[in-house]
Amino acid sequence: MSLSVQESKHITKKIGRDLSITERQIIAAEWSEHCSYKSSKKHLKILPTTGRNVINEKGYDSGVLDVGDGYVVTVHIESHNHPSAVEPYGGAATGVGGVIRDILSTGTRPIAIFDGLRFGDIENDTHARWLFKNAVSGIADYGNCLGIPTIGGEVEFDECYKNYALVDVAAIGFGKKDKLIKNHANVGDLVVLIGGPTGRDGIGGSQFASDSLESEDRSAIQIPDPFIEKLIIETILEARNEKCINAMKDLGGGGLSCAVSETADSLGIGIELDVDNIHTREAGLSPDEIMISESQERMLIITEKKKLPKLNEICNKFRVSCSLIGYVKNDKMMHVRKGENTFALLPADFVAHAPLLDRKKTIPKYLRHLKKENKNKKLLDYSKTILKLLSSPNIASKHWVFHQYDHEVGIRTVVKPGFDASVLRLDNGKFLSAKIDGNPKHCYLNPRQGAIGCFEEACRNIVCTGANPIGMVDHLQFGNPEDPEIFWTFMEALEGLSDFAKFLRVPCVGGKVSFYNETPSGPIKPTPLIGVLGIIDKPPLVPVPPSNGDYLLIVGKTKDELGGSEYFEYVHKFIGGNCPTVDFKTSKLNMITVLSLIKNNLIKCVHDCSKGGFVIALSELSINGNIGCSIDIEKIPSTKNLSHEKILFSESHSRYLLVVDGKNITRVKQHLSKQKILFGVLGKFSGDQISITHKSNNLVKSNVDVMRKRYFNGLEDLLKHG
Amino acid sequence: MNMPTYWVHVTIENKSGISDPEGETILNDLVLQGKFSSVSKINSAKLLKFQINEKNKKLAKKKIERLCDELRIFNPMVSKLSINIITD
Repeated sequence: MSLSVQESKHITKKIGRDLSITERQIIAAEWSEHCSYKSSKKHLKILPTTGRNVINEKGYDSGVLDVGDGYVVTVHIESHNHPSAVEPYGGAATGVGGVIRDILSTGTRPIAIFDGLRFGDIENDTHARWLFKNAVSGIADYGNCLGIPTIGGEVEFDECYKNYALVDVAAIGFGKKDKLIKNHANVGDLVVLIGGPTGRDGIGGSQFASDSLESEDRSAIQIPDPFIEKLIIETILEARNEKCINAMKDLGGGGLSCAVSETADSLGIGIELDVDNIHTREAGLSPDEIMISESQERMLIITEKKKLPKLNEICNKFRVSCSLIGYVKNDKMMHVRKGENTFALLPADFVAHAPLLDRKKTIPKYLRHLKKENKNKKLLDYSKTILKLLSSPNIASKHWVFHQYDHEVGIRTVVKPGFDASVLRLDNGKFLSAKIDGNPKHCYLNPRQGAIGCFEEACRNIVCTGANPIGMVDHLQFGNPEDPEIFWTFMEALEGLSDFAKFLRVPCVGGKVSFYNETPSGPIKPTPLIGVLGIIDKPPLVPVPPSNGDYLLIVGKTKDELGGSEYFEYVHKFIGGNCPTVDFKTSKLNMITVLSLIKNNLIKCVHDCSKGGFVIALSELSINGNIGCSIDIEKIPSTKNLSHEKILFSESHSRYLLVVDGKNITRVKQHLSKQKILFGVLGKFSGDQISITHKSNNLVKSNVDVMRKRYFNGLEDLLKHG
Repeated sequence: MNMPTYWVHVTIENKSGISDPEGETILNDLVLQGKFSSVSKINSAKLLKFQINEKNKKLAKKKIERLCDELRIFNPMVSKLSINIITD
């Protein structure tokens, strides 16, 4: 149990007596960092959370956005890092399950899953490879069994995740606005637990997630059961239609302790429950174990007395177990009984609100030692370097991953994974575009600009499909917050995100903070992950590959920003340099301009420049169209006297590559000039080679065929032969 | 000298107390739906059969044990192994 001395003192002072063991267990679970956000809650308030489309209701576990015509989209993001580092298959799968139940708890149907996966160096570390392979199959098996498409995500490898795993899962739901669950409860209402049986699995999981991962402490294993989850989804949605649900909460971290205290607190009610009524997997579980078990696939429902027979009937129909465990009172207490004996009796608001902490922050020392320039590097042949990058695990095609996922089930997927953002068709004729992005390499060098950059990249990706950003979710993953240096990086990232969200007027509709991501060799790099949702009123821009004679344009300025780039880190093994920064005004102007070009049907395809810089974005376009391109980098708008390598590989933000048909080129140029956007017409697509020159110097000459092979086989070869 | 051939059977199953959705599903949705109400528990497991040439039984078993460990044939956090030798 991990209650601090101060917390124990606070409890004795407030409650005025010694706590029972069960009470201490309940509080320890609820007051863990994972459930209580005690380090971050004070600060998270700076994020803008309201907006035109945002629907806020008490007790929602996911963000709700109004998309018009009586429909809503819900979104949530979670991680399952600690469990996945120990048991990648089950950990990743149960991570999917948890976030799906958050979507379900608002009364919407889950329609899509995204996942962000991060592991150590899979080229040299067989353990990292084992974690990666198993996490991917865990997600695939779970999502595929549920019939919910996994439509995108990202995969990244970095030394800082050695012997560890970051498994982030985001889910999207869709439903009718008038069917949203309006969480409420009346005295005498019944408290029902439905779903899988409660067992010893996952006991202490959220406390486990709030401690650093030590090799001997590996108790929290959860086994996924997607078939029960599927039945729960259908049960809940039918119960919703039959108006059997007054309030609902998913059982996640902290199990029943957390679900009961938070529900009672948010609704201002008391809940009395009898642990003898809870269906369990094995006999002989103690009340403490039942209260903090994190067995998966369970939901807490508050229903009216007269609706119970109907709810039972629905549960029977789907063969989902359902126990009546207690009822609603007006005393605002959380009362846990076993038969006639009381095991815990505490004010719900006391349990649900851990004392918040003021963590200290200081600028990390490592930042002072970072070098601005890489002076020792050898000059390399650019063509060879590009091939090396194309087959590197972070840049190579991730089809090995997403081909394991069913990304089309549900027939909503209009733009499939593999390029920028994916797009889903909604029932009101509109389209939803979504993407998640992270970049620990940038965030390590500059947590503030790095986090803003992730946010901008996710926005860029959905802009490439023609969507307007309407909401974001953030998942902030850091090491131990008790370390002031780590807390500083958290605050920097949070402030940066908040500034940019306010500027763009894109509200933060949900998120999660995950601390204590520590590996045996130290904390992970700051890894905020940002998901952005966008709406498209008319059909999205389905990318058409470039063909012979099409023009290539670049929008945005290339700067001296090789810091944290794949070129520095993968090719030169150098950590340092200038982290890319986002100029807010330019960023917005470029987004608006690209969107208006798409709206006017002037471009065939847009691709943003991100990992690997301009030259990798160009290669991806060429590979996609299986066509060469001749360009002169003289025409790339950039800071003065920028070296060739910086122009080619710098990962500056707010840049887009446009593929334009010859007949539209004049209009596109006029449009861009009118908006006073920095852009350059770089050349035309043709032939079977990418040739890049600067004035009369040949810099790159490479066959698209060869590049294609390297790009598509890079990751697969590594996994097949490793 | 020709070494004898052994069949080594490795059973991988979840440790007790860890849920076994496959076993539970077979029990609840198949067996108990039929006329076999005297069945009360089903545990699912994976069986791997290795054919191996080794000097003796003991070495054969040891080699397979090491193999399972090193190649991560199972996850020791979740599953347990039982190894049986069947002489050819």
